[in-house]
Amino acid sequence: MATQHSRAAARLMISPSVLLLLGWMLIPLGMTIYFSLLRYNLLMPGNNPYVGWENYKYFLTDPAFTAAIVNTLLLVGGVLLITVVGGVLLGLLLDQPMWGQGIVRILVIAPFFVMPTVSALVWKNMFMNPVNGLFAYLAQFLGLEPFDFLAQAPLMSIIGIVSWQWLPFATLILLTAMQSLDREQLEAAEMDGAGPFSRFFYIVVPHLARAVTVVVLIQTIFLLSVFAEILVTTNGGPGNASTNLTYLVYAESLLRFDVGTGSAGGVVAIVLANIVAIFLMRMIGKNLEA
Amino acid sequence: MARRVSTQRMALNTAVAWVIGLLIFFPILWTILTSFKTEAQAIADPPIFLGFNWTFENYIEVQERSNYFRHFVNSVVISVGSTLLGLVIAVPAAWAMAFVPGKRTKDVLMWMLSTKMLPPVGVLVPIYLMFRTLGLLDTKLGLVIVLTLINLPIIIWMLYTYFREIPGEILEAARMDGATLRGEVVHVLLPMAVPGMASTVLLNIILAWNEAFWTLNLTAAKAAPLTAFIASYSSPEGLFYAKLSAASTMAIAPILIMGWFSQKQLVRGLTFGAVK
Repeated sequence: MATQHSRAAARLMISPSVLLLLGWMLIPLGMTIYFSLLRYNLLMPGNNPYVGWENYKYFLTDPAFTAAIVNTLLLVGGVLLITVVGGVLLGLLLDQPMWGQGIVRILVIAPFFVMPTVSALVWKNMFMNPVNGLFAYLAQFLGLEPFDFLAQAPLMSIIGIVSWQWLPFATLILLTAMQSLDREQLEAAEMDGAGPFSRFFYIVVPHLARAVTVVVLIQTIFLLSVFAEILVTTNGGPGNASTNLTYLVYAESLLRFDVGTGSAGGVVAIVLANIVAIFLMRMIGKNLEA
Repeated sequence: MARRVSTQRMALNTAVAWVIGLLIFFPILWTILTSFKTEAQAIADPPIFLGFNWTFENYIEVQERSNYFRHFVNSVVISVGSTLLGLVIAVPAAWAMAFVPGKRTKDVLMWMLSTKMLPPVGVLVPIYLMFRTLGLLDTKLGLVIVLTLINLPIIIWMLYTYFREIPGEILEAARMDGATLRGEVVHVLLPMAVPGMASTVLLNIILAWNEAFWTLNLTAAKAAPLTAFIASYSSPEGLFYAKLSAASTMAIAPILIMGWFSQKQLVRGLTFGAVK
């Protein structure tokens, strides 16, 4: 039904979005790549000479970079493990018949709507504080030594906080996927004598595979960029113990004002994110055809 | 979906689910309760759960000492502003792609999505320097622009998946009945598109309200929305638990309520239609 005329109109309607996104992507990206090849520090004004790969060499050989990569992988991997396993279990639980299902659902998804700075500060002060935190009281009550979470296990503590924020997302999506499962198929399997475990592994798990992939990929995109939680709890410390790649680039650029090195780090972060993005795009692209 | 289960099984499910649900919700509940305590009661040993004298003092003091309301307004302006601006740009695009799909529509959609994959830290330096040059640092306008751009792909995608569900035959039927183009849009399409647009708006306000990378890096005292305002409590002032709790409760309450209404759209919006 699309005439020549309506095609032209459609193109006109799409172009503002395309131009804006194109500008948003290409201009800063081009500038980041350009800055990454210069010796450019905001504290040292003057001409910014071209230095080739020097910033990359400096950034990639900095021990902080290795630490940041390891921390980023641990943070992403740890949160994914907790939220996916927890999400499947919670999804299964919430999919059961019970009284007050709607209310429990509301309670479970609530953390997702708490802004990152609030959840980080609430956990940091009111739960993990070694003197006044609830965990310290709990330890005392059980006759244990209070544990200074953010000083002694900073990365683990941040993984805990971020998992609390993302568990609702995983649960909600996995629950949605479970509810689209054909009940008759399960009942048929039950009648054929399949036990609860074989029903779970042969019917529920294959059905969930796609939703789990979506959860993993989307969370990875967001988790690679965890920032606020680190900023307000540990500032990346002690030392580099809880510095991830995002925080390291922020520190280079806006705390040490080293635009060149910060930009090189930014390019590294973009390359890493793209590897994940390619997989995610394939998944979503497939769905578009269906 | 009436599955027959025994009452015992039902009771067990209910008990386990409620305990876990309350545990997950507990940090929020504890924050809300603490916001009504005095500072001394907030750090009392042993902790007081409910048996304290409820007070609104913290709320008043947070407002008086730090002008909470100003940051609240900043949050509203930035999240609502960026969402509405995004909607204005996105509606024509999503509309055209849903109703006049071309050969490259799918590629355009995928490409738009790919811009969302760009890690913010990858463009932090140029945006920061550009904002500094243009005088947009610590302004609401600057944040509205950035948040519009980062959420535009999600808005277009959500609208696209909703618009695509509107059957094209209805348009043809209206046309046969002699409807003008304007009548077609106003009387047929708009009423069918409004629910989808409302969900899109809701989800994007939530996302923009909680955005905590650009808001923290591009604002200082003046244009700081609640995300950045709360971060200022990470200084020793954070040790005033009751006030921290009051500020936190006010910051999350509106979005918590909106969020509960948008559960279903959340799945669809955040998975770009991959899970419905």
